Amino acid sequence: MTTMVDMRGIGKAYGEGAARVEALRGVELAVPTGQMLSVMGPSGSGKSTLLHILGLLDLPTRGTYLLNGEDVSRISALKAAQIRGRRIGFVFQGIHLLPRLSAVDNVALPMVYSRMARRETEERARAALERVGVWDLAHRYPTQVSGGQAQRIAIARAIAPGPDLLVADEPTGALDRKSGRQVLSLFQALHRELGLTIVIVTHDPDVAGHAERIVRMEDGRVIADETVAQRKIAGEEPAR
Amino acid sequence: MNPIAIAIDSVWHHKLRSALTALGVVIGVFAVVSLLALGTSVKTYVTSQFSSFGAQLITITPALAGSGGSGIPRGRQGGGFSAPPPSTFTMGDVGAIRGVAHVARAAGIVAVPTEVTNGTRMLAGTSVVGTSSSLISMQHLTIAHGSFPAPSSHGILLGAKVAATLFPAGGAIGRPVKVGTTTFTVTGVLAASGNLFGSDPDTTAYVSAPTALGLAGTTHVSEIIAEASGTSQVTSAAAGITKLMGVRHPAKDFRIITATQILSVISGTLSTITAVLGGIAGISLLVGGIGIMNIMLVTVAERFREIGIRKAMGARRGDILLQFLLESVVLALIGGGVGVLLAWLAATIAARAIGIPVALTVSSVIEALAFSAVVGAIFGVLPALRAAALTPVEALRTE
Repeated sequence: MTTMVDMRGIGKAYGEGAARVEALRGVELAVPTGQMLSVMGPSGSGKSTLLHILGLLDLPTRGTYLLNGEDVSRISALKAAQIRGRRIGFVFQGIHLLPRLSAVDNVALPMVYSRMARRETEERARAALERVGVWDLAHRYPTQVSGGQAQRIAIARAIAPGPDLLVADEPTGALDRKSGRQVLSLFQALHRELGLTIVIVTHDPDVAGHAERIVRMEDGRVIADETVAQRKIAGEEPAR
Repeated sequence: MNPIAIAIDSVWHHKLRSALTALGVVIGVFAVVSLLALGTSVKTYVTSQFSSFGAQLITITPALAGSGGSGIPRGRQGGGFSAPPPSTFTMGDVGAIRGVAHVARAAGIVAVPTEVTNGTRMLAGTSVVGTSSSLISMQHLTIAHGSFPAPSSHGILLGAKVAATLFPAGGAIGRPVKVGTTTFTVTGVLAASGNLFGSDPDTTAYVSAPTALGLAGTTHVSEIIAEASGTSQVTSAAAGITKLMGVRHPAKDFRIITATQILSVISGTLSTITAVLGGIAGISLLVGGIGIMNIMLVTVAERFREIGIRKAMGARRGDILLQFLLESVVLALIGGGVGVLLAWLAATIAARAIGIPVALTVSSVIEALAFSAVVGAIFGVLPALRAAALTPVEALRTE
């Protein structure tokens, strides 16, 4: 079994001198390819910083991070942007669709920035929107769809380029309970069918319970790492 | 969506803000383009008028002793009030100048300070000039009826306005007029011609030079005008005249001015005025550019989240830089386009108002648009760099 994420002694500090804050203090974390993992912890535990480093939105100040075997701990901004565009999918709590772009243009965004051929971009965008069940909303704008629909479009955007790793930050945080369950169900389906490695950062134990494994953080360190014995399965409810 | 479409979309989305921002560039481009067009048109008009007046003409005027030479005296450029120095030129000088190499024709001008009446009517401001028929042809004037008076005769050629005032019913030829107390017979009438830089043939009456000398009670002609045999012979003709006059007037109380010299002074002055006005107008374009920079900085600050999302989705620094740079270029180009349109409108109106053709040249329009694009790019660099330099985390943090 290969390892998608291999973090050794990851540290992240902000500021200088007396104002220096250590958000991460030596995180050891290995995520096997194809695993669905939850990272839990109270606010200030460093879970968001960990997510940023996992998604190459930020670089660690110390330690080594191997992504699918490649050392990405000290890469350039350009290389990080290229990897983000092709190999990492992001789902945010605030959904973060661009309001001035239609659903299909939003989904195409990472592929446009990856300089993918136009035809392939269109095909992948369509396939992703169909996969999450919102192809009929392809030409709507984010303000014209519900929160649950918007998050599905955002998930389509994350999976469209065919990433190795899907990183989600409180993906159900802004949604009502029903839409939240649909999103979790969608994650589980993507994990099951595509074998996607998924890391979900959450403070909600119910959400975390849908993963195969839960890592708990506190004070910038991993304090517990457990396999979920009784994994919750979100019912495949009809789309919307 | 390509970067240009994104830029246009973003500019369009904030219509009022974009319009106000572009307004600075509109005013700047409008001012620069219309002033340059006006300046260029006036210069072209003056030059063409001058050429028709006669680029081959050489004027010999009296000057203070010792100043003898060519060029335009400083005092005259400002149109000073000091009276011209008395002339010592004679008809003999005119004849001698005719003999200089490359001189085709020459005519003396004798100003007679008197009035022309037909007993009952007169035209105020009429000047009486004694000269020869050469002057009429050198100044490209046309005799509508009759002919130039014979030398030493008491014949008179009337300018169009003089003839129309004295003889409103027409039929001036052969009729008597009084110049001072002397009676003359009208031998010809000039066609209307318009003002020729200070002298207006329409309000002038011409008599033969010897007659005028007699009337004025002098032997001195006020001014001599010569014509070179070709445009390229002006310099050598002027040199020949200078040499000749130097011998005939050792006191060097003359000055020789070629039309080219006058023209180069006038067109040089006009160019300077145009450049200075254009430069002042250019400052307003600069202010417009600063307005764009200001708004683009605000735009970048407002769109941290968008920048963060784009970066998370794999946008490179260059992608973000290009996006914001294009946006400011689009803003500036819209401003430039509207400015050019307004300048065109102003030129059309100005052309009607002042009666000379004012036209925007294609090159000035292209230059104005290119210049506004450059202004947009220069003043967009700082905001765009700021956007591009944001780290994804910084940009996403602001919610």
